[in-house]
Amino acid sequence: MNVLAIETATPVCALGLSLESGVTLSWVLDEDRRHTEVLAPGIERVLREFSLRARDLDRIVVDRGPGLFTGLRVGLATALALGAASGVEVVGVTSLEVLADGARRAGARGEVLVALDGRRGEVFYQSFALDESTSSALNEPAVARPEEVVEHCRRGGAPQWLTGDGVVRYRDVFARLEGVEIDPQTIPSLDAALELGARRTPTPVTPLYLRDADAVARFTTREGA
Amino acid sequence: MLALALETSCDDTGAAVVDSTGRVLSSIVESSIDLHRAFGGVVPELAGRAHLATVTPVVQKALDVAGLDPHDPAIDLVAATAGPGLVGSLLIGLSAAKAYALAWDKPFVGVHHLDGHLFAPLLETPEVEWPLLTLLVSGGHSMLVLQRAPGEHRVVGETIDDAAGEAYDKVARWLGLPYPGGPEIDRRASSGDPHALQLPVSMRNDSLDFSFSGLKTAVVRATERQPEVGVDDVAASFQAAVVEQLLRKVTQALEREGARSVALAGGVAANSALRHALTELGRERGVSVYLPSRAMCTDNAAMIGAAGLHRFAHEGASPLSTPARPSWTLVDR
Ligand SMILES: [Zn+2]
Repeated sequence: MNVLAIETATPVCALGLSLESGVTLSWVLDEDRRHTEVLAPGIERVLREFSLRARDLDRIVVDRGPGLFTGLRVGLATALALGAASGVEVVGVTSLEVLADGARRAGARGEVLVALDGRRGEVFYQSFALDESTSSALNEPAVARPEEVVEHCRRGGAPQWLTGDGVVRYRDVFARLEGVEIDPQTIPSLDAALELGARRTPTPVTPLYLRDADAVARFTTREGA
Repeated sequence: MLALALETSCDDTGAAVVDSTGRVLSSIVESSIDLHRAFGGVVPELAGRAHLATVTPVVQKALDVAGLDPHDPAIDLVAATAGPGLVGSLLIGLSAAKAYALAWDKPFVGVHHLDGHLFAPLLETPEVEWPLLTLLVSGGHSMLVLQRAPGEHRVVGETIDDAAGEAYDKVARWLGLPYPGGPEIDRRASSGDPHALQLPVSMRNDSLDFSFSGLKTAVVRATERQPEVGVDDVAASFQAAVVEQLLRKVTQALEREGARSVALAGGVAANSALRHALTELGRERGVSVYLPSRAMCTDNAAMIGAAGLHRFAHEGASPLSTPARPSWTLVDR
């Protein structure tokens, strides 16, 4: 199966490609949120390098969030249009599950808490159980202040692992969890995205915002944005 | 030549198929205005979410109506608005358009939104008498543009503060009328007395520039002085003052620039008083007046397709790295 994976929900814009021949590669195109400028040229370059056209793909995997709203919409608009134009099916994965599986690939085992910087003093978070071959969600993705997440973890039994840029950003808060190892991964693993996406049954892909549009609207209106 | 065009600069998601003779094979517009009403203005995050949800279905529909194969359409070009506009909105159409171009291996062209508005009247006017003076008035822009030929334009006047549409929204809010204010004030004004309030006409000078910010203040003061004047009369008086200023500048520009015709463009061009006054002006001065349909005045992708085809013919394709340009200014050409 030829699979292209698109990551734009985090500050990084990256691509992954796995080919029928068994080759799997990934590219970080940009780390400065200039996703619109680098994404389409990057896809064009990568496809050309392997003499592929979009329609030669069997699947397009896209990170549907949670993450930076504008960034994840650039990736989704690109993936959905590529799919519509070429007849290739598009599959969504979440940034949280990709990071969890990335930690598993790096050797983490047991329970991992993934926390992504959600801005405004909050993190997007979710817990997963990791074993040799799979990562499975233990709860639903949610958004909260890091202090609340840590408090919740202390009461419910702390995870063995932490990962995500929210952990880095709120290092001091997460340090209150004792005996926890940190997987330093901040860029979601493209290998994980490719494999999760390849296994998944396609369903219509929608963004995972985790924030109510009206609340965001009121916030941005108040901020004069 | 056939172009698929996308327009997502504000709250409308548009896709269209047009050819280089100006024939519009399809033009689909999906508006998210209902989502913004409660906030009294376009909320960028809501617009971004709506664009993402509608962009591929709108393109699909535009291709369907034009009778084109969605996986291998017989088009020559994909065009999209690159600016100016709300950055989060622009990014959706721009990203999608690049992906369509890439998948079909067709050239991509980034289009200036106002270039699109200037092409709109041409799509509905088979024989334009050049030079053409276009009054471009919308929620975000108010300007007078002289065109010697399609795509050859010079801005001869523009607003020094608010856009005309912005003034409509502000006055509507003051009067307690719903957003967007343009159609609402237009409707109320039709049964009001335009002489009920004495409002000053701004910019009584030689400049071809507009000014609308003082008008809102004048409306507030006048209604405080004469609280007995009803909403319909205030709306009519305000609308008359806006139209008088616009007409005065159009007249000055016609004299100074020697244009042989006048066209209206932009969302405010749907205003009935403005359309009526301009028709009268054309009759008095013996110049042709082109009034595009309401659908062509407001934001749509057909106009972006026409501008894109022109740009492609003269400047070639844009790179896939083309950024969104939220504050792109219209340069003379
Ligand atoms: Zn416009």
